[in-house]
Amino acid sequence: MSEASSRKLSEDLLRPLLETSWRFYALVAFLGSIVLMGLVTWAYQMFNGFGVTGINNPIFWAFYITNFVFWIGISHAGTLISAILRLVNAGWRRPVTRCAEVITAFALMIGAMFPLIHLGRPWLFFWLMPYPNSRQIWPNFRSPLVWDFFAISTYLTGSVLFLVLPMIPDFALVRDRTTGWRHRVYGTLALGWQGTTKQWHRLETAMQIMAIAIIPVAVSVHTIVSFDFSMAVVPGWHSTIFGPYFVAGAIFSGIAALIIAMAALRKVLHLEDYLHPVHFQNLGKLLLMMSLLWAYFVFSERLTSWYGNGTSEMAVFWALQRGSYAPLYWTMVICNFVIPFPILALRQTRTIAGCVTASCFVVVGMWLERFLIVVPSLGHKYLPYSWGPYRPSPVEIMIMISTFAAMALLYTLFSKFVPIISIWELKVGEHPFPAETPAEIKEHPLWQVRP
Amino acid sequence: MPHRWGMAVDLDTCTGCGACVTACHAENNIPTVGPEQAARGRAMHWLRVERYWEGDFPDVRLKFRPVMCQQCDAAPCEPVCPTYASHHTADGLNAQVYNRCIGTRYCANACPYNVRFFEFFNPQWPKPLHLQLNPDVSVREVGVMEKCTFCVQRINAASIDAKAEKRELKDGDIKPACVQGCSVKAMAFGDLDDPESEVSRLSRSPRGGKLLDDLGTRPKVTYLARQTQV
Amino acid sequence: MTAIYALYSEPADVQKAVDNLRAAGVPEREIVVISGEPIEEYEFSHRDKASWLYWIASAGGIAGLTFGTWLTRMTELAWPLQTGNMPIVSWWPNLIVMFELTMLGGILATVVALFITAKIPSREPKLYDPAVTDGRILVGVQNPSGATLPAVERALTIGGGAELKRS
Repeated sequence: MSEASSRKLSEDLLRPLLETSWRFYALVAFLGSIVLMGLVTWAYQMFNGFGVTGINNPIFWAFYITNFVFWIGISHAGTLISAILRLVNAGWRRPVTRCAEVITAFALMIGAMFPLIHLGRPWLFFWLMPYPNSRQIWPNFRSPLVWDFFAISTYLTGSVLFLVLPMIPDFALVRDRTTGWRHRVYGTLALGWQGTTKQWHRLETAMQIMAIAIIPVAVSVHTIVSFDFSMAVVPGWHSTIFGPYFVAGAIFSGIAALIIAMAALRKVLHLEDYLHPVHFQNLGKLLLMMSLLWAYFVFSERLTSWYGNGTSEMAVFWALQRGSYAPLYWTMVICNFVIPFPILALRQTRTIAGCVTASCFVVVGMWLERFLIVVPSLGHKYLPYSWGPYRPSPVEIMIMISTFAAMALLYTLFSKFVPIISIWELKVGEHPFPAETPAEIKEHPLWQVRP
Repeated sequence: MPHRWGMAVDLDTCTGCGACVTACHAENNIPTVGPEQAARGRAMHWLRVERYWEGDFPDVRLKFRPVMCQQCDAAPCEPVCPTYASHHTADGLNAQVYNRCIGTRYCANACPYNVRFFEFFNPQWPKPLHLQLNPDVSVREVGVMEKCTFCVQRINAASIDAKAEKRELKDGDIKPACVQGCSVKAMAFGDLDDPESEVSRLSRSPRGGKLLDDLGTRPKVTYLARQTQV
Repeated sequence: MTAIYALYSEPADVQKAVDNLRAAGVPEREIVVISGEPIEEYEFSHRDKASWLYWIASAGGIAGLTFGTWLTRMTELAWPLQTGNMPIVSWWPNLIVMFELTMLGGILATVVALFITAKIPSREPKLYDPAVTDGRILVGVQNPSGATLPAVERALTIGGGAELKRS
């Protein structure tokens, strides 16, 4: 690309780092105060005992586990966009790849907090780590919670590295364009990056390998999270479909979160030249497909339960369809399928606003879906004497709100200090025939993928 | 000779009086949570008397059954505990190690009998109620799971006595609090591996059945079916 | 560190310059091409391809697999506790932890290999020009021996568009 357009690209995408308005500070203060309130609430819970939550017998898992599964699900956005689209050479991923990876990293960090928050004795969480100790005990590798620990640690490490590695050349760019403290800080972060052909090759090969590696990890993580439920003999949980069902649901909610984040960034950081309606339309088509896939999984599972007519399973089934959980259940179906389907299927409504609307409904619907998997089954186990209801307490609601604020805060801070669109990858995309691997140069131009 | 502890409850004899529940509370330092917490579903009755009413007035039928931890031989609560706080002993008991419990509550979800309980608050025994505490049983702090142990402190005490007296344990040496407290002697406790023990004989009774047997948990409490209708 | 380099705006000129340098007898490893983004369409960019990185990743994966197998087996046998009538050492649950540690091993091996072979972070001064981030491409020779200096300069000066610099 010409030098002028390259320079304009760099300037546009560096502007959020270099110019700060009062709105940024106000937003950070607002979100930061909510996060602080959440932390204080958690301290209150640890100090006063877990009884301040709404947990009871038999519903021992509720809001915190719902949020845990929800946030881990959201984290699948980045893996899909960054890793899968990179492997299939979809050039339109370039402007959105870092937005998506940031969602993954932060959603994972937030999601990983919830197993700590929901522990009865959270100060002993480190007993899940296998290290030689004087307690003469190791963690129980048969427990899905220990699988969770390993899976989420691996996924978090992989995602953070997948996010940070391509940031190195961009840090070099910022280092060259700034002076003073920024020049020093970004210079350190750039790790002495030059941009020799050798370094580019190493980086791109490493990214390719990481993309190949991170996809099975992402699938395994949400499958293992689903094993938290399917390994227990609880009616409605002990289902073999949970692995694929959860992964599909995760990708579904992840794409919705990505669309919302992208639309917000486009508006606030004035990235209209870089995030085009076609990007939203492509993601909207993916969201439509995932909505259909989600509906397919739910139908499979419901049909199997209903047809099998097991006593305890049917108690859960009717509680969801017609009983006390019915309002939430049908809201979930409307939010996840009935509303998004027409919006995303018709080209006229598949605009940026339409995609964002559908995505907001999907995020709400998927949160409800997690809740409706966890709580009704626990409330209707095998002995009806022990059935019971659940009502969230202010403590749980506050902590949940503060995690949404934490996500927004982390995202805001990130987009202030790091270019939210990967500058060098976008520049590569502008090349006449950009190719991910040199082998494609030799192929006939017909088979080359245009961005 | 290793033992395999089990229980038998005769539902025909049981009157549902609840003396076993009270005895269990007294023996095992179980806190009484108060009416508000009980209304929120947090009562901690390691042994409870489940009651079901069937039919409409005047054809109401009542069913009740004392339910405690079944000490399942294939306990679903054991593999899911990340810290081995819930594991199986050589005696066939499902042990709950309070010190290892970090309070994930997975075991409570996995238990089909809902016999596992969580300490939601630090239990309080304002003076002079602290005098009622049984020194043989620990007091659990907030955040850990607890459940019926078949009065393992009594099992251990009797085993130590037998060893000191250089004799084997006899059937009837050990009586958990519920068995001892039962007003009509509806409950029995003993070694299932001893074919002569009372519990073994009762477990072979044609009236005998197990709770939720079809789930594959292999519970060790035999319920002898009621023959008279209430 | 001394270096002679030139900045170009067109990748085609860069290719010519690299070919000239090769004709002038500069060894391949001393030719340095620095750009703000990878330029895959040209031959000069295909030097130093790293297909062996996949082998390193696989080796890391195998290391992770071995560690996972050992960790699960060793700990389960060291403190054998009976749970739920399951065998003390069982493949099904161990496979999950083994899988995760395999992937972690592969990922970490890749990243470490990347840092080592790309020589980042580096402490020694490196050839660089901030004009690269404006879209210029740098072609140069680091630490050239005195005899070849004029040859290198001639090679780098192609008709128009080149800025010759020293550092």
